[in-house]
Amino acid sequence: MYTETDTAAESVSPVRKLRKNEGGLIKYLSFPQITIIVLLCVLVILMLVPILFMIVSSLKSNAQILGNFWGLPSPAKWNNYGAAFTSIWRYMVNSILYAVGASACVILLSSISGYIFAKKSFPGKELLFMMMLAMMMIPGVLTLIPSYVLYNNLGLTNTPWVIIIAGAAGGQIFGTFLCRSFMSGIPSELFEAARIDGASEIRVFFQIVIPLSLPILATLFIMQAVGVYNDYIWPLLTIRDSSLQVVAVGLTVFTKQFGITDMGTQFSAYAISSIPLILIFSFGMKYYIQGMTQGALKM
Amino acid sequence: MRKAPWIFLALILLLGLVPGAALAKDHWSIEGAGNITSLSVSEDGSRVAVGGHNAKAFLYDSEGSPIYEVEAGNVVTGVALLSNGTLLVSSDDRHLYAYDETGGKLWDSDLKRQVKSLAASQDGSTIVLVTQRSKDLIVVDQNSGEQTGSIPIGSLLKEVSVSGSGQWIVAATSDQFAYLLDKDGSLMYKFSADNQIQAVAVSENGLAAVGTASNKVELFDKNGSVNSSINTRDIVTDVAFSSDGERIGVSDLSGNYYIFDGRGKQLWESKITGEGRGVQFDREGKTLYSGTNDGRIFRYDVGSVIDKAASKARLNAMLWAAAGVLAVVLILLYLHYLKKRNRLVIFRQIWKSKYIYLGLAPTFILVFVFLYYPALSGLFHSLYDWQPGGRTTFVGLANFERMIHDPYVIKGMGNLVILIITGLIKAIIPALITAELIFHLRSKRLQYGFRTAFTASMVIPGVALLLIWQNLYDPNVGLINNVLELIGLGSWAHGWLGDPNTALWAIIFIGFPFIGILQLLVFYAGLLSIPNELIESAKIDGANLWRIIRSIHLPLLGGQFKFLIILTLIGIIQDFNGIMIVTGGGPMDSTYVPALQMYYAATKFNDLGYASALGVSMFLVILAITVVNMKLIKTED
Repeated sequence: MYTETDTAAESVSPVRKLRKNEGGLIKYLSFPQITIIVLLCVLVILMLVPILFMIVSSLKSNAQILGNFWGLPSPAKWNNYGAAFTSIWRYMVNSILYAVGASACVILLSSISGYIFAKKSFPGKELLFMMMLAMMMIPGVLTLIPSYVLYNNLGLTNTPWVIIIAGAAGGQIFGTFLCRSFMSGIPSELFEAARIDGASEIRVFFQIVIPLSLPILATLFIMQAVGVYNDYIWPLLTIRDSSLQVVAVGLTVFTKQFGITDMGTQFSAYAISSIPLILIFSFGMKYYIQGMTQGALKM
Repeated sequence: MRKAPWIFLALILLLGLVPGAALAKDHWSIEGAGNITSLSVSEDGSRVAVGGHNAKAFLYDSEGSPIYEVEAGNVVTGVALLSNGTLLVSSDDRHLYAYDETGGKLWDSDLKRQVKSLAASQDGSTIVLVTQRSKDLIVVDQNSGEQTGSIPIGSLLKEVSVSGSGQWIVAATSDQFAYLLDKDGSLMYKFSADNQIQAVAVSENGLAAVGTASNKVELFDKNGSVNSSINTRDIVTDVAFSSDGERIGVSDLSGNYYIFDGRGKQLWESKITGEGRGVQFDREGKTLYSGTNDGRIFRYDVGSVIDKAASKARLNAMLWAAAGVLAVVLILLYLHYLKKRNRLVIFRQIWKSKYIYLGLAPTFILVFVFLYYPALSGLFHSLYDWQPGGRTTFVGLANFERMIHDPYVIKGMGNLVILIITGLIKAIIPALITAELIFHLRSKRLQYGFRTAFTASMVIPGVALLLIWQNLYDPNVGLINNVLELIGLGSWAHGWLGDPNTALWAIIFIGFPFIGILQLLVFYAGLLSIPNELIESAKIDGANLWRIIRSIHLPLLGGQFKFLIILTLIGIIQDFNGIMIVTGGGPMDSTYVPALQMYYAATKFNDLGYASALGVSMFLVILAITVVNMKLIKTED
């Protein structure tokens, strides 16, 4: 679907180029255009108010916030960030490890089953695929509590596995769908040629299918990792040890746990917790958006 | 010819039904005894001593007729019957008492500290005590009750037990260690349990059993070599050995009694109402006595209950075997039928695809175990009073009935309606306007730039953003009140989240200006996919911008609208993240939603059946929405 939108955008541009040549910059900066730009700027600023407020407040002390609310931080309290980091780094490391672990599992499982559903025929294929499809209709609210009981009975609560397995089990359904629709677009002749040359099935999968599917796997990885990183309710329910807790829950408890009363430090912690997301989005925003719109239009 | 399997089946069914020996079960109740704290059986099995929470110790004969009762100053913590007929009673009143066969007091020893646990060998040569906040086992003389020595352990003691002959002593400490000592008090083995130790016992041949709060009985001996662990259904309250060590009796908190053999194999299990509070065998291991938390004593004839359990297990095994044979027969018949129709080729296909199934196996194991099973379990248990590991009783639709009378759910439904209406407006209108604005930018670079700028807010984790908004609403240092003051509306300043009248609206306002990234991208992609010729020709016909939006954009975005409406509905019904972090449902019940009530029912009140019923109800609503949506799509196609 995304490629389609791209070509649509492409088909618009020649007209625009034509206009540009006709009217030059003036056409670009006509009154309605400027109005649109101003409106959009206002909206963007409004959207970013909480983030800007966070950044400014993260450099203030309590006295600065109370005494001079509207002033910029002077002097800027950079050691707020140090204090925040020492209290939440553990949660961040946990979250990142869980996110990477769960996403790696999702990629592995989804690529295999996506490939099989896309390119293989075998008895029971439709039935199995319907079973996965049906699972997408089950909302999390139905399974939340029974899942907790199940993981608890299996002795998995309060271990990293409760996050990783839950992330893998839930994420692979969507992942299989994405991979299946992507991989059915890869021409089968490629595999046939390799097989005639004597390549084994496993070799075909790892040397042809996986490299050709890297974009969709990247999409999947990023979506899953962001999802696990942002998850709040499930870790809150299943993890008790502070040393295993994730950052989403950690942010809500670390002030009490470390006796932090400085609001600046709290805001610094929020800012620090955004760093992994900033990194992953700066590399993979394109893939994330692709996954989001693709998921939206497939459903 | 077809008859042969049926005859065989009937035969094994008959064999399985041969009744075991009649169950010899007896019980009596002690009025007002409360918790049974301890039990002791005399060497010949003719008398049973019972310690009660009501500060009394009782002596019964093996048929349950009372012989005498004696009173202590506080809760009786331990009783021990010696082979010469002496009854030792320890109590929280800091005394250890000894009575003769008829109830006459032999001696009374003041130990200065509350006695927490008492254990004695049958002949009385070894009597050890655990006193409150003590790190030493106290050894007491049988004839005078005087302390004759102590065995230092080194950490706070909790429980002690002695084997019948006095050869072995096992002591548990509150730091989750069990110490196996010989009769001189020298340490043979130190065992580390994985949770709080609730009870200990040791057999004549030095096998020690430790019952823990993690629903386990751990076995070990003096070399630490036997290291098996037995699972129970709830926290273990007591363990006992028969003297030969071949039988282990266990009671747990949800009223289950078990008998295991010395290797941890379960021989028998039974359940009473109430909590199981103590188990003891007689010397030969023929009778098991057990106590409850409400003063009842049960007596089980070990041999017959084990036989009965074994014959029941045999019956079960035979039924399973019968079912297996039946299944095989049916499959053979089916194969025969297939062969007649010449359809056996499907099996060749399945066999050929074996590696494909192998490849799909991990995926489907996860799907079945971690997705299907919980979903079905939730549907099933919504009809039950669900106590995992304990009693789960069928209550029909009572959970659902309770739901419609639950004031929090009623309030939550009202709130949910408000949240859904505002949520739909928030999800559709701002995103649509923004998408139109971006779409109408001439510069493609600016379009891309703004699209990226709007997605930039994704870099803050959702929880952090909610916490920032919570701070923005702060009555004193919050941005919102400060802005109001700045523009001269200081009188409007308010504890937005603390006032039941504004809290829900404050939550709704979170995320202003409500430009959802997914919504924006969906609309934007939708606009881009509208064929340009359509708009160009409309322009040529003289249509203005408003006309183009109304007559071309909106109708052609129908699919996007439907998708986003469904997604928003499903999302809002399930979502309680924000409310839980920002207000926790308060103040009072002003921001409750059904999903939050579900979470609280499960976590705060441990009411899992009720929580499942709430989950099922929300699932049904979501299912209805999805089905209606699919119907609508079909009619349109």
